[in-house]
Amino acid sequence: MPLEFTLNGQKVSLEDVPGEATLLEVLRQRLGMLGAKEGCGVGECGACTVLLDGKAVNGCLTAAWQAAGRQIATVEGLAQGDELHPMQRGFVETGAVQCGFCTPGMILTSLDLVEQEPVPGDQQIRRALAGNLCRCTGYHDVVRAVRRGAKYMRGEGEEQ
Amino acid sequence: MSRFLTPATLDEALNALSHPGAKVLAGGTDLMLALRQARLSGTELPELILDVTRLPELGRLELDGPAYYLGAGLTFRCLEEDPRVARRIPVLAQAAATVGSMQVRQTATIGGNVANASPAADGLSALVALDAVAEIASLGGMRHCPLGELITAPNKTTLAQGELILGYALDPPAETRGQAFLKVGRRQEVAVSRLNLAACLDRELSDPRVVLGSCFPTPRRLRDVEELIQGATPGPELWRAAGEKAAGHFTDVCGWRASATYKVPAIARITARALSRAWAQLEARS
Ligand code: FES
Ligand code: FES
Repeated sequence: MPLEFTLNGQKVSLEDVPGEATLLEVLRQRLGMLGAKEGCGVGECGACTVLLDGKAVNGCLTAAWQAAGRQIATVEGLAQGDELHPMQRGFVETGAVQCGFCTPGMILTSLDLVEQEPVPGDQQIRRALAGNLCRCTGYHDVVRAVRRGAKYMRGEGEEQ
Repeated sequence: MSRFLTPATLDEALNALSHPGAKVLAGGTDLMLALRQARLSGTELPELILDVTRLPELGRLELDGPAYYLGAGLTFRCLEEDPRVARRIPVLAQAAATVGSMQVRQTATIGGNVANASPAADGLSALVALDAVAEIASLGGMRHCPLGELITAPNKTTLAQGELILGYALDPPAETRGQAFLKVGRRQEVAVSRLNLAACLDRELSDPRVVLGSCFPTPRRLRDVEELIQGATPGPELWRAAGEKAAGHFTDVCGWRASATYKVPAIARITARALSRAWAQLEARS
């Protein structure tokens, strides 16, 4: 039986996916989606975060088959052509991206947060991103980035 | 290579589970780690992985009638966010909020948490404080088992092959019960519990419940602490005395090991603080 799910709005169908395969390896190795990264492989770093039916999950702790029939979103699906997603713009403009390894996970986790909390406070942002580790930025700019991205998503303009 | 099955009905699940070599996936945050380990070390993989999270039976959440029921497939995120859980059984909402990261809370379930019986599992102490009784199904029928008896040792339960936890029946805590959960870990978020404490108090202090978790092999109710509180005069004095008594358990059970220098005073403090919070919650309601 093929494994079928929706990836960034497109149906995908894969043959011969073993039961023990993680969603992360299937995305990276079978589907060429390299946005989600394997940092630790054991659920500690959040670099592998993707959205499963809109909710942030660790791709390394999710069996590929858990995605069957569901919607998966990865960072590749966010921009519309050359137009970045508002949350991506927030990250770029605040300098919250250094090496960028953690960024896809940070952005997707933030989208899950903003979905429930359109005007997130700093504490809420820090709490939501507690499972996303960054080796470079020190998090300060990441919090600003999420605030700014959330603002753009609400259709409001530049932050003062 | 493992086969993967997502049964649509409980019957199908129990049939599949009765074969040795079948492993339940109840969220996957622990199972996928174990599989990773097995793959890296070349040990055998389970023949069948059984994803029970889509079974409707496991998604029940009943907190309105005279009997409370929590399906084993409920995720910590759901327990953390459901307003009924926060209102009726805040001790579980608070415990759920401290589990792992948002990503882990999103998939990890209270069924998996109990079945794996990790000594560090935060959900367990709260469920024990709520006197949860597990409802367990197998092809042979149904059995009921209090959580304290189901978990026998770290990572050990009395669950047999073929048995599946469907959910937990709770005695509805009187509306007048104050509840609190506190945890000590290495950092504020995403920390593995080193100690946690769940407390439930009623206004008359007739049935106080104090559960200490993570520092013992299994979460346990501190009966002598509960006796001390029973019928006594509530207040800082009592909470402090209860804390001291609770701390005594650690050295009794675990001996004076190195971490005791840190854990003994920590137990005394979180016990006193949790009791005082639970009581403050009661006061606030009156
Ligand atoms: S790679 Fe999944 S959490 Fe680190
Ligand atoms: S930008 Fe380098 S890990 Fe976060």
